[in-house]
Amino acid sequence: MKKTITTILLIFSISALFAGGPWPQPKGKGYFKLSEWWTVFDKHYTDTGLTDPNLTTGIFNTTIYGEYGITDRFTAVVNAPIFSRTYMNNLKSITTQEVIIPGESLNGIGDLDVAIKFGLTKPGSSIPLSITAGVGIPTGNSNGGTLGNLQTGDGEFNQSIQLDAGKSFKLINQAAYLSSYVGLNNRTNSFSEEFRYGIELGLGLLNQKLWVSTKLNAIKSFKNGATAETVTSTSIFANNSEFTSIALDVNFYVTKRTGVSFSYATAINGEIIAAAPAYSIGVFYDMK
Amino acid sequence: MKYAKIYPIAFLLIMMNSCIQDDFIEDTIDPEIRITSIVDTIGFNDNFQFEYVYLDNTGQIEEVDAVFSSSNSDIIPITLDGLASGLESGEATLYVSYDNDEINVVDSILVSVGANTSTSVQVSNGEIQTTSSYQLEGDFEFRETTDGVVLELGENYIASTALPGLYVYLSNNKTSIANAHEIGAVEVFSGAHQYEIANVNFDDFSYIVYFCKPFNVKVGDGDL
Repeated sequence: MKKTITTILLIFSISALFAGGPWPQPKGKGYFKLSEWWTVFDKHYTDTGLTDPNLTTGIFNTTIYGEYGITDRFTAVVNAPIFSRTYMNNLKSITTQEVIIPGESLNGIGDLDVAIKFGLTKPGSSIPLSITAGVGIPTGNSNGGTLGNLQTGDGEFNQSIQLDAGKSFKLINQAAYLSSYVGLNNRTNSFSEEFRYGIELGLGLLNQKLWVSTKLNAIKSFKNGATAETVTSTSIFANNSEFTSIALDVNFYVTKRTGVSFSYATAINGEIIAAAPAYSIGVFYDMK
Repeated sequence: MKYAKIYPIAFLLIMMNSCIQDDFIEDTIDPEIRITSIVDTIGFNDNFQFEYVYLDNTGQIEEVDAVFSSSNSDIIPITLDGLASGLESGEATLYVSYDNDEINVVDSILVSVGANTSTSVQVSNGEIQTTSSYQLEGDFEFRETTDGVVLELGENYIASTALPGLYVYLSNNKTSIANAHEIGAVEVFSGAHQYEIANVNFDDFSYIVYFCKPFNVKVGDGDL
């Protein structure tokens, strides 16, 4: 069941720096997913925590995610947005129907994340722990569009570290797990560092063919980076973003090794972040 | 994975929602006519040419045939196209008006006749206020200069530093920056500072508007 739980946690990855919980992939085994993630928002959380409107903006990512067990305790992780599209609507006068500000779009690749996960505890431990070290490589475009306010990446090289802990157990006679993490994200290019944490509860149904998970993720900014006072920019990416989100994930094994996934997540509070749900659908392959 | 063949279909369906569409802004305002050449006193037997601008229901300048008139032609006669003369000591109210089947707008100015033609420096005082949940407030003075205008923000001015790409404009429409004059990016977020704006007349615009360029949303405004 632990192997399955590892897979499920991978499937449900959205806000965690890296998914899979505290369970590394067994040596020679892996998990791979192709997914579509998107959000379209016409309001955002401001620095006061309230929401304000904005021009409708959409972000769509096609992402390949993969984990591979180098050893029973070392797992390589890659998250690669191979196609990223972002757009802003036209702003039109309701009086004259004329375009005041023309809409724009940007297509490209997103930022690449790579990491190594190490199981601090041996496989089979009753309370597994793992540590993940990763880097975010700015392969995306951080300055697209006429005003430089269309982005497929944040333009900064970041380094992260994350500690995961978990437990598998039975819940209402079904396989279940509880996983949590804390992490730090060190950012460059005058961006503020971040503290990240989350908790997740998953339940396996239909003889573990159907997994349902709910989770809470949060990012808290240290607010120690640049602000608009020190950096003049028309970039849509704003520093010092933070949020708390809840998510619901559903994952279904169509065959023993392949399946489909669906995810819904939304911020319940935040600052300088979109105020709209994000969705994801995908297909996965589990080398178990 | 037969079912994986539906992935391209799902991708296309999702991407159909990524097309650029339209957002609309409620930018309807009342049309307005405005005398743009200001004088306090016309000298005896001096002439002065008055000008005007007509703003349509979105704040855009539109060419129209407006007419001038005087409340007392014995003191200050004025032609239909705005040429006024100082004849006798005293004062008169000068009007410019435009009307059609749907619109009737008027503006006026009180002018005296004296020894010399003179104009006092035009000054307007007001407050910047936020129209969003971002912090933005402060007193301002808007003043005519020899080659344009100057906008001075007071010591109590403060703006949120969390918002990227905050710009300040002069506009004739509080809700839109269409046809607005971009003063520039906001670089001071607290305390007194000023913007010197050349080639802009004191009466060209009615509002100061703060706008976030990246998000294309209004943050605050002030009445001139």
